[in-house]
Amino acid sequence: MLTERDLGGTGSPNGPVPLSLPQTLTRWAGRQAGSLFLLPAVLLLMLMSIFPLLLSVYLSLVRFQLVPGGFKLIFVGLANYRKLVAGIEREHFLGLLADLTPLIWGMGGAVTAVLLVFVIRGAARMRPAVPRTAGRLVFAVIAGALTWLAIRTLAPGGRPGTVITTILYVFVGIAVQYWLGLILAYLAAQQIPGRRFFRVVYLLPMMITPVGIAYTFRIMADLGKGPFAPLWRAVGLAEVSWAGHAWGARIVVMIGDIWQWTPFMFIVLLAALEAQPQELLEAAMMDGAGRWQTFWKVTWPQILPVTSTVILIRMIEAFKIIDLPNVLTNGGPGTATESLTLHAFIAWRTLDIGGSAAVAYSLLFLVTFMALSYISLVHRRLAGAV
Amino acid sequence: MTPAGVLLTYVVLGGWALVVLFPLYWILTTSFKLPVHVYDGPVFIPYVDFTPSGDAWRYIFVDLRNDTLRPYVNTVVVALTSSVLALGLGTTAGYGLLRFRYEPRLGVVGMFLASLALAAVAITMGVPWQIAVAAALGLFILARQTLGRRFVRAVGNDDISFWMISQRILPPVAVVIPIYVMFQRVGLLDTRLAVIITYTAVNLPIVVWLMRDYFRNISIELEESAAIDGASPYRIFRSIVLPLSTPGLAATFLLVLVFAWNEYLLALFLTSANAQTLPLLIAAQNATRGPQWWYMSVLILIMITPVILMAIALERYIAKGLLVGALKG
Amino acid sequence: MKRHVRLVLALLGVLVLGSAAGTPAAPGKQFDGVTVNVLTFTGPQIAEPLQRRGPEFTKLTGAKINVVTVPFSDLYQKILTDMVTRTNSFQAFVFAPQWMVDYVTPGYLEDITDRVKGDAALQWNDIAPFFRDFSASYAGRIYTIPLDGDFQMVYYRTDQLARAGLKPPQTWDDYLKVAAALHKKDLNGDGRADFGSCIAKKRNAQSYWMVWSVAGAYLQSKGTSQGSFFDLDTLKPLTNNAAFAEALRIYVDTGKYGPPDELNWDVGDSRSGFVTGRCGLSIDWGDIGTLAIDPKSSKVKNKVGAVILPGSRRVLDRATGGLVACNSTTCPYATGGVNHAPFAAFGGWSGAINKAAPDRAKAAAYAFLSYMSQRKQANVDVTIGITGFNPYRTSQFKGLDNWVKAGMSASAAKNYLGAIEASLNSPNMVLDLRVPQNQRYQQVVLDTAIAKLLAKQITIQQAMKEITDGWEATTNELGRDAQLQAYRSTLGVKR
Repeated sequence: MLTERDLGGTGSPNGPVPLSLPQTLTRWAGRQAGSLFLLPAVLLLMLMSIFPLLLSVYLSLVRFQLVPGGFKLIFVGLANYRKLVAGIEREHFLGLLADLTPLIWGMGGAVTAVLLVFVIRGAARMRPAVPRTAGRLVFAVIAGALTWLAIRTLAPGGRPGTVITTILYVFVGIAVQYWLGLILAYLAAQQIPGRRFFRVVYLLPMMITPVGIAYTFRIMADLGKGPFAPLWRAVGLAEVSWAGHAWGARIVVMIGDIWQWTPFMFIVLLAALEAQPQELLEAAMMDGAGRWQTFWKVTWPQILPVTSTVILIRMIEAFKIIDLPNVLTNGGPGTATESLTLHAFIAWRTLDIGGSAAVAYSLLFLVTFMALSYISLVHRRLAGAV
Repeated sequence: MTPAGVLLTYVVLGGWALVVLFPLYWILTTSFKLPVHVYDGPVFIPYVDFTPSGDAWRYIFVDLRNDTLRPYVNTVVVALTSSVLALGLGTTAGYGLLRFRYEPRLGVVGMFLASLALAAVAITMGVPWQIAVAAALGLFILARQTLGRRFVRAVGNDDISFWMISQRILPPVAVVIPIYVMFQRVGLLDTRLAVIITYTAVNLPIVVWLMRDYFRNISIELEESAAIDGASPYRIFRSIVLPLSTPGLAATFLLVLVFAWNEYLLALFLTSANAQTLPLLIAAQNATRGPQWWYMSVLILIMITPVILMAIALERYIAKGLLVGALKG
Repeated sequence: MKRHVRLVLALLGVLVLGSAAGTPAAPGKQFDGVTVNVLTFTGPQIAEPLQRRGPEFTKLTGAKINVVTVPFSDLYQKILTDMVTRTNSFQAFVFAPQWMVDYVTPGYLEDITDRVKGDAALQWNDIAPFFRDFSASYAGRIYTIPLDGDFQMVYYRTDQLARAGLKPPQTWDDYLKVAAALHKKDLNGDGRADFGSCIAKKRNAQSYWMVWSVAGAYLQSKGTSQGSFFDLDTLKPLTNNAAFAEALRIYVDTGKYGPPDELNWDVGDSRSGFVTGRCGLSIDWGDIGTLAIDPKSSKVKNKVGAVILPGSRRVLDRATGGLVACNSTTCPYATGGVNHAPFAAFGGWSGAINKAAPDRAKAAAYAFLSYMSQRKQANVDVTIGITGFNPYRTSQFKGLDNWVKAGMSASAAKNYLGAIEASLNSPNMVLDLRVPQNQRYQQVVLDTAIAKLLAKQITIQQAMKEITDGWEATTNELGRDAQLQAYRSTLGVKR
């Protein structure tokens, strides 16, 4: 950290030397360097995010209505949120809850137990205890509620709403993208001829606009017009359509997402793998460790910080998924593939501005909760401060 | 590696390369197809399965000449400008957060936010923006002099970085309508400037995050010795830090450029006809008759070509640049 | 300094003289110097004829026509926000009348009743009565000029029906029978089994119109003014009764004879499926007719027939909620004992004028829209598939010449135009829903429920309840009296 002293020393052994105007200005500019470096960025962000955020809150509390002469914003309080959680949009947003069976009770009980242990251990161990425990408690309550919702809507007889569908996309997508990216990066890091070709080619999906990718996948997955149509017919699946089944459609959306974003994981992990100090690897080899062991004992700890960061970045982006479900199935069949952003977008398109803002804010809460939890529980441990 | 291992490696890598390249091949051939070729079932190889036709290309480049050129130019201008701006503002901010100590008082920050919010509300209600901004500024200065002294609790660098990076969490759909209203009030709707400002703000957090992590890697001794020699912070930054960070800058620039190049949702809200960008033109090919795959394919191809070329050129930097800092935690 | 001053003054003088000399000495055209910005969606449909005829219009009147296009899915929002936020970059819009109510209620659209009445060249009475009196009007005043006639018909493969010895379907039960007969046969000679019926059932696409094409004949029988969506006195939805249940049953059953991924087919897929010969039957607007003769898209040229939307022999009794047989009281407009209710889905692309535009621009915009709709231009444009304009003027389906010139065989043209004529002349045409925020009723509630029904996530009874509850909730939220008033106004019902 450069301090004032580093920047402002006057340099004469006999005491302060009177400075000319240009010198004084330069000195003053030097002292202002800190602000000048940071302020423009801060101001721009404040302008473009604080104000819109506040206005969005207001919009989520009103109902938009066209009236003679223009439009009116009618204050309705929390009605838009209530509609999502307990009113007519509940099944759309949260989902259809399956009936309670012993299995569901059992799973719920297990989850509650884990969370309780988590909170109590936190209370016992951490200093200062109260704020930290309160944080853990809040986390446990929200995480518990979400898990309970997930269990009850994913069980047979239930149907997930846009919240759980979005979470599903994120978790499954990231898991597959990470492991696939890691395998590819590991192989591409080997000293084989032609690796540069693979590196460039694997970058390509990330370069295409998501809307374009969505349409490309739409025609590729089409059972009549797509390139796989002859394959389906040969296998005898001509009568089966992924678009008609909720899970089939979700899987196709996830395949598109994985195709598009694995390159991101790949590029970052490749850089991390290539930046490993060779000495460690060679030392492990000399000690007689096999490939598998070398990887888990030496490489894996090395790339954990990068892993954590790249998962955090990808997670934040993944929650905003909209193009694929919008173009592939328009959110269907039923509402099976609809994500939260798509839900908000459709509401906005039909002039339900308040409802759209309410869904968008719910998404914001969800992502903030996930990001904060991830940072506190996982990222800090693996990669230090953000 | 054993020969079997090498073979396996090639199989896996080649397999995924096929998975990546096949959709691109499909887009390429589709751009040469007529509607009946697309509707009738898949045809794969030009001249073997179907007779390629330049119809779609002709439509996009000749029939729609200006309507294709305008979005293309818009995309190039908007993406490049916003990426350069984001890189500039974000790099200096990232450096600042690493090397300087900030302790803005919470009270001052709060008051600033409050005056900003008041200005924004006033503008939304129809007050001319010049008056609103001036009034808010005056209010803030007044408040700072009087109330500012009361609140002493300050935030630190880490809090500021966290706040900046958390802006990325904001889903665009949550802020799109207010941003629309804001630009409408200052008369900037459907202009490239509005899109540039928005993209810069949206991509700033990523630049700050990545560059700050990258700068952590540069040893501080170099900078400290330059400072002792009397160099100003600006000089240090320009002559010592930046040259050392070229790989990181290149990688971050490419990443941010790709985001801005391909962005759809914000451009959709903020533009109509003059500032329309290419992703919108692609989406617009889904007209009432269904998606016009052939036109879409042509547009996708002309969209990704410059980006791919740039990626190939910058590829060697990406390997070295991205997130090396994060390795060290 | 003085030297500079004189130089500057001299330059100024030259400039002034130069600009004065630049003014044309000849008398200017009517709208010289006026630019009209027209907003519509990215074509080529609808945008192409506007762009093509713009320069013609400029030559005639001097007004510059600037056609601006945005993606179709965003057109509604763009038009609305342009006027609501008072940006007013556009003087004219070409959109679907179904959106009209959201623009008329706040007073954004220019009332063109007087202009139309004084416009002989427009030949207003040549336009089919339905589009004149219902589509272009609201509460008795005219706001749009029709450029296109949008209503749904059933298309069938003439060759396949002849081979199976079947007649074009008159009722929806006939439709199912024909679909069953054609299903799994090879309809286009490529050796693969094809489908009996292809309907655009994709969510958030056109499914909510398709289902109403089926339901209309069950719900409305006493003429357009009776309406088909709500009860005229209480605004209670007509979606929870035996008639609607029957319509839903039929809509679901068509899936038995459709492609396996029909739930993901939007109108682009159903149209292309039909014109490449993979479907025996389909429901569509007028596009299949002109698409079928386009060699770039079609494999079924002159093998396509069209028929007025099939009807029903039983209709809804609004008093009891039950199905009753058709007779002269219940179905005054029935033909051959069948109540037909052609559905003017979406309304037909029309042009309207922004009320906030300057007067001269408004006059120029009106002149352009009138020009586009006049017979000399319109009757040619509706025969060209790429324009997306379908017939809406009586004169357009009286003469076969333009159609034969465009590539249709005489018999195909006669069949196609006959179906259009039958539909346009029907006094029982169904007007699309035009209450404020109709999109929430149709695109959100109805479409979602139908999508879930087709995906077998809910039963017919549950779907009906969901639609009814959703519509009632929306009505209550927006104000029942205001909505009722609007519903009656749009149907031209005066109480």
